[in-house]
Amino acid sequence: MSSHREAPEISKNPVADSTDLYAFVSPDKPDTVTLIANYIPLESPAGGPNFYEFGDDVLYEIHIDTKGESEPDISYQFRFQTQLPNPDTFLYNTGPITSLTSSAWNRRQTYSVTRVDGSGVHELGSGLICPPCNIGPLSTPDYASALAGPAVHELSDGSVVFAGQRAEGFYVDLGSIFDLLDLRPFQNLQVYAKALGLQAAPGVNTTAFVNVHSIALQVPISKVTASARPVIGVWTTASRQQACILDSDTGQPVYSGPYTQVSRLGDPLINEVIIPLGKKDYWNTQQPGFDKQFAQYYAHPEVSGLLPALYPGVFPNLAALDKAGTVRADIEAILLTGIPTGIIPGFTNFTGPVQADLLRLNTSIAPAANPNILGLLGGDAAGFPNGRRVFDDIVSIELRALAGLTVPLVDKSFTPDAAAGELTDGLTPADLGTPYLDVFPYLGVPYDGFDHPS
Amino acid sequence: MPSHDAQRASAERAGDPDALAGSPGRRMSRRSVLQGAATAGAVGLAATALGAAVSPASAATRPSSPRGAANAASGPLVVHVRNAKSGDIEVFHGTSKTRVRDKDLAARIARAIG
Repeated sequence: MSSHREAPEISKNPVADSTDLYAFVSPDKPDTVTLIANYIPLESPAGGPNFYEFGDDVLYEIHIDTKGESEPDISYQFRFQTQLPNPDTFLYNTGPITSLTSSAWNRRQTYSVTRVDGSGVHELGSGLICPPCNIGPLSTPDYASALAGPAVHELSDGSVVFAGQRAEGFYVDLGSIFDLLDLRPFQNLQVYAKALGLQAAPGVNTTAFVNVHSIALQVPISKVTASARPVIGVWTTASRQQACILDSDTGQPVYSGPYTQVSRLGDPLINEVIIPLGKKDYWNTQQPGFDKQFAQYYAHPEVSGLLPALYPGVFPNLAALDKAGTVRADIEAILLTGIPTGIIPGFTNFTGPVQADLLRLNTSIAPAANPNILGLLGGDAAGFPNGRRVFDDIVSIELRALAGLTVPLVDKSFTPDAAAGELTDGLTPADLGTPYLDVFPYLGVPYDGFDHPS
Repeated sequence: MPSHDAQRASAERAGDPDALAGSPGRRMSRRSVLQGAATAGAVGLAATALGAAVSPASAATRPSSPRGAANAASGPLVVHVRNAKSGDIEVFHGTSKTRVRDKDLAARIARAIG
């Protein structure tokens, strides 16, 4: 998936596992940028009695490079604290949770938001309450207006923040992708599926009824950009203290030492499909500014080599490109530096020559009146890879780019295969189980456990 | 304000990139990261002690201070003997880490675990 369980170590550490990162100019407040970092993959809505929550022992951060040096000029830090008012019951709630101050709610989290920038360390809010998980109509009635809505908090600098459960907004047919890239709409062409006589079929959204935990921040553009530099680079990290002892006397872990990074995420699907298995854990510990060490995997993406092999005769031009050992300068530009001025008329999200996995957003590009889920590939410069909106069809965009559709950006003589412009896992936002919101925090109301028990 | 933030801000103001090496995600100099990568590759003998105080012999290798003593009393220390033979030891406390080289202490810890 975008970055769910994408590396061996972090897959065992879900509260610190960043799953998706979004950055976009807010469509309803275009003088602001919305940043959303999702954590905790594949939450089953009925996963009680210990429902999902952020890690008190995890330092969550959203970093912004404003100067094009792939360094964090601004970092927003989020620290969580769990309260258990009544330790003598096994229940998450002892009755309906009708408000964020309900005494029936027995396991709650609050958090602080700190901004670290060149002027120092600024606490923007503390004691901010998360909403409960969406348990069911009896336990969490009127979830959206009574619980989630009041959990949107204004910070001392005028920004707004939300941290808590949301419906998974990333749509993907995992079952087909990880079954030897057997994209259902094209499985009549896939080498193994074709041998079995399988026919083309619609995609299946694996994440249709799972939740995730979101940290969402809406900040005035002026607070996250440098003067005359509208392009920002965004990434999120999760860090844990280096030493952990499992105290057999108390049954509780004891943490000590400085925080060390265990997860990071900028562009979607990078550690998922660009970085090889042997480097994934290491990649998660690295700073984006050192990503030159991984550039070979962008220059020769494994997926680009797999497509002609798995779909024989469908990608002849891509196969020739691969055979010639051509460096994929288009992928390097899109994912490692941003697209420089002059490549696409009127567009750039170039941050500078430093190769780094950043989600790059040109904040001077206004939200689209009629967004295209294929983003820049669909002629919509307000979408991925110019930042990422919650509805962008990341899977299709990256599949098509890796299949060679974006090679002409750097080599006008190359003709992409016809299939490159059609690749998809067959899904759109219509395959979600619940719609996105039109307003902050934009990701949908989480699925409740009673109505989505499996 | 969390203590490690204060340390980080202080280090930044002081222009000491190496003091920031333990801070994740931000203001890490390339030099400090490369140093970290190099040391992470070292072979270590891990031994940990919860709530144990560094012995006087070990303390003798570093300047002691009333503040240090107060910190030691305020929470657990975790000691990681990276290399018993060379006496390379890390001491974790709060949100900080101190690296010391004390062959005698490492030898006594090794003896203590049998």
